[in-house]
Amino acid sequence: MVVEALKSIREGEEEGRKLIEEAKERAAKILKEAEEEVKRLKEKAREDEKSLAREISDKYAQEGKKEEKVIMKNAEAEAEKLKSIAESNLDSTINFVLEKILGLR
Amino acid sequence: MGVKEIVARIEGEANAERERIVSEAKENANKKLEEARKEIELQKKRFIEAEEKRGVEEKERIIRAARLNARKLRWKVEEEMIGKALEGATKRIKDVKKEGFKGKSYSNILTGLIKDAAMSIIAGGRAGGELEVMLSEEDAAASFVKPDGLKKIADEINQDRGVNVRLSLSGERIRSAGGVIVRGKEGNIEVNNTFEQRMARFFTSLRGEVLKTLFTTLSS
Repeated sequence: MVVEALKSIREGEEEGRKLIEEAKERAAKILKEAEEEVKRLKEKAREDEKSLAREISDKYAQEGKKEEKVIMKNAEAEAEKLKSIAESNLDSTINFVLEKILGLR
Repeated sequence: MGVKEIVARIEGEANAERERIVSEAKENANKKLEEARKEIELQKKRFIEAEEKRGVEEKERIIRAARLNARKLRWKVEEEMIGKALEGATKRIKDVKKEGFKGKSYSNILTGLIKDAAMSIIAGGRAGGELEVMLSEEDAAASFVKPDGLKKIADEINQDRGVNVRLSLSGERIRSAGGVIVRGKEGNIEVNNTFEQRMARFFTSLRGEVLKTLFTTLSS
């Protein structure tokens, strides 16, 4: 009777140890999975950074080019205008230069 | 306490311990994930800030380069038109020799240049002596400057300045589109009043005035 009782207690203890061992294994698995998930999230973030960098760089380059186009368009128009003004003043300018080099001014 | 109760108690304690271990592990795992997510989010924020800064710099670089190119375009027009004006003036010298300029004959213009050169030499400390006038082959052949004309210039200078200089025509010729070189007969002093030299000498001040004259409508 006593032997039976001790056996039952030992079995109970054994069962308990098993339960705890399994729990520890499960805990280790949970932590490992979490670490893997962290690793995966970091890798994804690194990948995302590449496309994000391209996206941002493209956005500003496009803005810059758009403004460059406006600046050059205005500059070309101004250059044309300047040229036309200068052409109309060319004769009087030639006379001015002549006056200076001929010693008349 | 009976055996059953003891066994049940052992199992209960083991179950409780199991629950504690698993729950603690889940809690740690969630904590790790949460920390990692926060770190990634922060890193992403910093990354975006850095990339935005780089992007803005690149945009500004493009704009600066465009503004510089715009200024270059303006300079190009300015230089082109200055060149045209100077070239036009040089070309017109031939007409000046034939027709004169602003009511003055070419001979009168040369007289002015000779006088100007001689006065510069006198201002440099020379009070008398022989000065000779050098002309281009073309101008000498056309007799734009004659000995009596030179005497008249010398007389005017001597009277104005109280000096005693004589001017004569040199047999030596200069390579020039026009104008004169006046020098002391000993060759120690010389004033170059050829058109090429005058153009070069006045270029810096002339450039600004030429620009003003060329683009005057724009600034007014």
